[in-house]
Amino acid sequence: MGSNQQGTFGKIVNDIEETLIAFLLGLMTLITFANVVARYVFNSNILWAVEGTVFLFAWLVLLGVAYGIKHSIHIGVDVAVKMFPRPVQKIITLMATAACIVFALLLLKGSFDYWLPFVGKRAFLETEDVPMPDFLQFFATWLNDGERYEKLPRFIPYFILPLSMSLITWRFIEAGWRVMTGKEDLIIASHEAEEMMEEAGLNQPADGENGGARS
Amino acid sequence: MTVAILFAIVISLMLIGVPIAVALGLSSILFLLAYSDTSLASVAQTLFSAFDGHYTLLAIPFFILASTFMSTGGVANRIIRFSIAVVGHFKGGLAIASVFACMMFAALSGSSPATVVAIGGIVIAGMRQVGYTKEFAAGVICNAGTLGILIPPSIVMVVYAAATDVSVGRMFLAGVIPGLLAGFMLMLGIYVVAKYKGLPSQPWAGWREIYESGRDAMWGLMLIIIILGGIYGGIFTPTEAAAVAAVYAFVVANFVYRDMGPLHNKDGDNISILRKPLSVVTVWFHKDTKQSLLDAGKLTIMLMFIIANALILKQVLTEERIPQMITEAMLGAGFGPIMFLVVVNIILLIGGQFMEPSGLLVIVAPLVFPIAMELGIDPIHLGIIMVVNMEIGMITPPVGLNLFVTAGVARMSVMNVVKAALPWVGIMMVFLIMVTYIPIISTFLPTLMMGPEVITK
Repeated sequence: MGSNQQGTFGKIVNDIEETLIAFLLGLMTLITFANVVARYVFNSNILWAVEGTVFLFAWLVLLGVAYGIKHSIHIGVDVAVKMFPRPVQKIITLMATAACIVFALLLLKGSFDYWLPFVGKRAFLETEDVPMPDFLQFFATWLNDGERYEKLPRFIPYFILPLSMSLITWRFIEAGWRVMTGKEDLIIASHEAEEMMEEAGLNQPADGENGGARS
Repeated sequence: MTVAILFAIVISLMLIGVPIAVALGLSSILFLLAYSDTSLASVAQTLFSAFDGHYTLLAIPFFILASTFMSTGGVANRIIRFSIAVVGHFKGGLAIASVFACMMFAALSGSSPATVVAIGGIVIAGMRQVGYTKEFAAGVICNAGTLGILIPPSIVMVVYAAATDVSVGRMFLAGVIPGLLAGFMLMLGIYVVAKYKGLPSQPWAGWREIYESGRDAMWGLMLIIIILGGIYGGIFTPTEAAAVAAVYAFVVANFVYRDMGPLHNKDGDNISILRKPLSVVTVWFHKDTKQSLLDAGKLTIMLMFIIANALILKQVLTEERIPQMITEAMLGAGFGPIMFLVVVNIILLIGGQFMEPSGLLVIVAPLVFPIAMELGIDPIHLGIIMVVNMEIGMITPPVGLNLFVTAGVARMSVMNVVKAALPWVGIMMVFLIMVTYIPIISTFLPTLMMGPEVITK
C-alpha cells in the first residue's frame, strides 16, 4: 500500500532506501555481535563498537522515518476521522498533513541550528572512539585548519539530522499532494492488520462471513 | 493548567489523524516555543538523544530482528505442535494449547501483535475445524497474545527500563512469574468454560510425541535461554543479548529450520547444507534476509520515531516540573500507595486505549515514577503494573492494537473481536488487581536471583 512511486527514478530511490535500511540494521547487529565475540573469543574488544552502533541506529531510524511517510507506516488514530463523510475527511487529513509539515519545518530549522556549529566554530570536536577513515581526511583541510582528525569529527554523524529533516519535510509535502489529488485517504497506517497478515503470508481465502469492517 | 493545554493539543492532533509521533513532537515544540526560551536546536538534540543518550533502547531493533527471523512460520508451527502434544488432551485442549503456544512464542518475541499473528494465524483456523466458534477462538488468541509484552524479552519493558533507569535484566526476570500466572489463569478459564460447554479435546498423543515435538521446538526455545542466561550469567548486556539473539535466530531460521533463505524449498524437502555449501555465503545476499531486515527495520523506525518524540514531551514535562507538582498534589491530598496505584491503573487503562504502549510509557513513567518512589513502591513492581495495564489497553477499543490484528487474522470485524475478547478481558482485570496489590508476584524472582533492589533516586 501507499507505494506511489513515480516512474523509474522513484523506484530506484525506493530501492536504495530499502537496501540502506536493511544494510544499516544488519551492520548494527553484526558489529554488536562481533564485539561480544571479540570479548570472549579474542579477549579484546572493538573500541568503537558501541558508539558506532549508536550512530548507525540514528541514521537507520531518521532516514527510515522519511521512507516510512511514503509507505504510511506511522501509526495513528483513524476512528475519529472515519466518522466524517469523505469530503470532510479530506479536509481534516489535509489539516493533519499541514501540521506534519509544520513539525518537519520546525525540526528542520532546529537541526540546522544544532548542526551548523559542528561544521563551523566547533569543527574540531571529534567522536569518542570512532576512527576517522583516511578518505575523509580532506575535511581536515577544509574545516580544521589542515590538522588531521584522529577520530571521526562529530559533524559527520550529526549530519543525519538536517539531512533526514529535509527528507521528512519533502515526504510530508508529497503526502499532502497525494491526499489533495485523492490518491490517498490518510497519511497514517490504518491497515496494520492486513499488512501484517500479508507479511506473515496468511492470505489463504477464508470462509469469512463478516470481513466488512476491515476496510 | 498550561499542561492541560499541552495534552489537549496532543489529543486533538491525534484525533485529526496526525501520526502519534508527530502529534507528540509538534505539541511539545509549540509548547516550548510559547512558554519557555528553549531553542529549536536543543529540541533537535533531544530528538537525537533517543539514540545516543539511551543505550538500552538499542536493544529494541535487535529484539525485533530476532523476532522477525523467528516469525517465519516454521517456528510457530513447531511450538504449536509441542503445545498440542502437552496440553491438547484436556477439555478445550486446542484453546489451552493456543494459550500455551502464545506463552512460548512470547518468550521469543517482545511484541504482542507479532504473537497474535504468528500463533493466531495458525490456530484460529485449526480451532474452527474441530468445532470451536470463531468468536471463542479469536477471543482467546486476542488475550493470550498480549502475553508477548509481559513474558521476557519485551520491548515495552526495555522502554520502561530506559525511561526510569531501572535494570532491564530485573524487569525481564520480574515478568516471568506474572507471565506464567496470567497464562495459567487464562488456561484455567478456558478449562472451566470447556467443561461447562463440553468443548472437544484432542487425543492424547503420547510421551513420544511430546519428546519429538519438544526436541524439534527446542532450537527456537533456546533463544530465551540465551537471552536470560546471557544477561543473568553476566555474559553480556541486554543490548548485546538482543544482538546475539538476532544472530542466533538468523542461523536457526536459515540453516536449522530452513524456513527461509537459500536452503528453503517451497515445494518439498528443504535442501541439506552439504549439498549447497555455498549457501553460507549466499545467505547474506538472499532476498529473504533482506526482506526480514527491512521488515524489522520498518517496525523499529515506527516505534523509535514515537519514542524519540515522546522524549521531547518528557523534556517539556521535566522542565515544567510537572512530576514534582503532581507528586505534591497527590501527597497533599493524602493519597496512600493503594489510592495512588488505583489512579495509575486508571490513567494507564484510559491512555492505553488510545496510545501505542511504548510511547505512553515514555510519557507516563517519568510522571508517576517519582511519586511511586516517594510512597515506597518498588520500581520493578511499578513497571510490571504498567506492562499489565498496557496489555489490557491492547485489547480494549478504540485503539487496541491486538484487536485490529486479531480481526485481520480471524477475518472478523473489529467490533465482533471486541465482543469476543470481552469475557477474557475480565480475567486480565482480575490479574491486574492481583499484580497491583500483591507485589511479591513481581519482585520475588528478581530479588531471589539478583538480590534486593537498590533504589538510587
